[in-house]
Amino acid sequence: MFESLNDPVDVLTAFLDGQIQPLRFRWKGRVIRVARVTGKWNRRDGQSRLQYFAIEDASNTSYELCYDPRGPHWILCRAWVGSEGG
Amino acid sequence: MILLIDMDAFFASVEQAHHPRLRGKPVIVCGDPSRRGVVTAASYEARPFGVRAGMPLAEARRLCPQAETVEGNPGKYIALSVRLLDLYLTYSPDVEPFSVDEAFVGLAKGVTLDEAEEIAGRIQSAIEERFSLGASIGIGPNKLVAKMASGVRKPRGRTALDEDGFRSVFWPREVQEMWGVGPRLAERMRSLGIQTVGDLARAPESALEAAFGVIGPQLREAAWGRDDTPLVPYHQTVAPKSMGHEVTLTLDSGDPAFLEGTLLRLSDQVTRRLRADGYSGRIVTLKLRNHRFETCTRQQALSSHTDDPQRVFEVARELWRLNWKGGPLRLLGVSVSGLERVATENQCELFDGDRRSRSLIEALDRMRDKFGEASVVPAGALTHEIKLRHVPFGAISTHPGNERRS
Repeated sequence: MFESLNDPVDVLTAFLDGQIQPLRFRWKGRVIRVARVTGKWNRRDGQSRLQYFAIEDASNTSYELCYDPRGPHWILCRAWVGSEGG
Repeated sequence: MILLIDMDAFFASVEQAHHPRLRGKPVIVCGDPSRRGVVTAASYEARPFGVRAGMPLAEARRLCPQAETVEGNPGKYIALSVRLLDLYLTYSPDVEPFSVDEAFVGLAKGVTLDEAEEIAGRIQSAIEERFSLGASIGIGPNKLVAKMASGVRKPRGRTALDEDGFRSVFWPREVQEMWGVGPRLAERMRSLGIQTVGDLARAPESALEAAFGVIGPQLREAAWGRDDTPLVPYHQTVAPKSMGHEVTLTLDSGDPAFLEGTLLRLSDQVTRRLRADGYSGRIVTLKLRNHRFETCTRQQALSSHTDDPQRVFEVARELWRLNWKGGPLRLLGVSVSGLERVATENQCELFDGDRRSRSLIEALDRMRDKFGEASVVPAGALTHEIKLRHVPFGAISTHPGNERRS
């Protein structure tokens, strides 16, 4: 299941061809490398456009990150914390 | 020819597409899984266990304990829905969104059924390729046939029917399968001996009119696969009939202060939407559901149109006081209907108080436009725990047990 977190995180970010790309981020003392971006979407909040990324690390663990240009800062919205059945 | 593109188990499929570890597994999309609520969507893997949208989450978990529950993200689904509409626009300028996961696409005159099916196939492939999502597409000469055909083969199905094809597929089926015939109407039809769509098509028009009024002959036409409802491209928007918000409480509550705060929050949200879309309304409807799932809906007309949160709240509160029997409530809803467009020029207010109140509402709207929905909320709605963390919609949670927490 996913755990809702909404934790501010430091993300090493590439700005390429007008696109934002999260490369790796630090969470709970670990550095997690983004292996794949599996989905992208945007949401408007006031005058700002927040950019969301569904990603996986090398061990296929899923996360959702949000880039908020108002900081600018990144938020780790949720993370996969294991199957509910065990 | 018209296509109805219906995204297969849209919300659950989006989560499976974005999170590959969920693929092939039963997935239930809901509100906050740590609270109670209802199933918003179920993946195709969850459906054989009996899990359906609208079912209480606790029941779904009992039926399918191995299912992964995922908190839904409406903003994500709407964003993807808009991108899907953009994709459809590359095939035709005539695109009419029917819901967040369905859209009609009108093809040029002269396109045959076979050609339309070929185009539908290309759209399915593009959706799969770009979004890793599946869609079922119904193809027909009108919206009715396209809509009903879309449900014939799912998921990732494609069904093309002309009127004759429609009759051969649907006439043997139960009358409740007709688009627009719900359980109650079907029950009444069965009591008149109309069991199948074919029975409805062959029923005497006068008998249908006597039993069901003007809708009777219309349904008979529909049973023949005939429909002349125009496709309205989404840049030619149709005026909404009502706007409303409702909330299922985390726990049943009989606390008057909490319920009143919830009504205030709902009234504020509804009128915010009215103002944002340039409408005002004259009929306020209150919806209450108790812990036994008994639902009560009451409405009251105002003397004039309004988009003022205080006026809507006062009417909703009055209806609540008159109709609430004091027991715990599970759900509250406030909606406004009888809508009309607000003139672009501000009307002259009669009293200074009205003018000041209007200025305040407009100033608060500007603040929310700039800083987000949760930047300003009515103080009376703060009977809820405030969730200031970064969450979609800047939601205010509804914990009756945590009222007035500082």
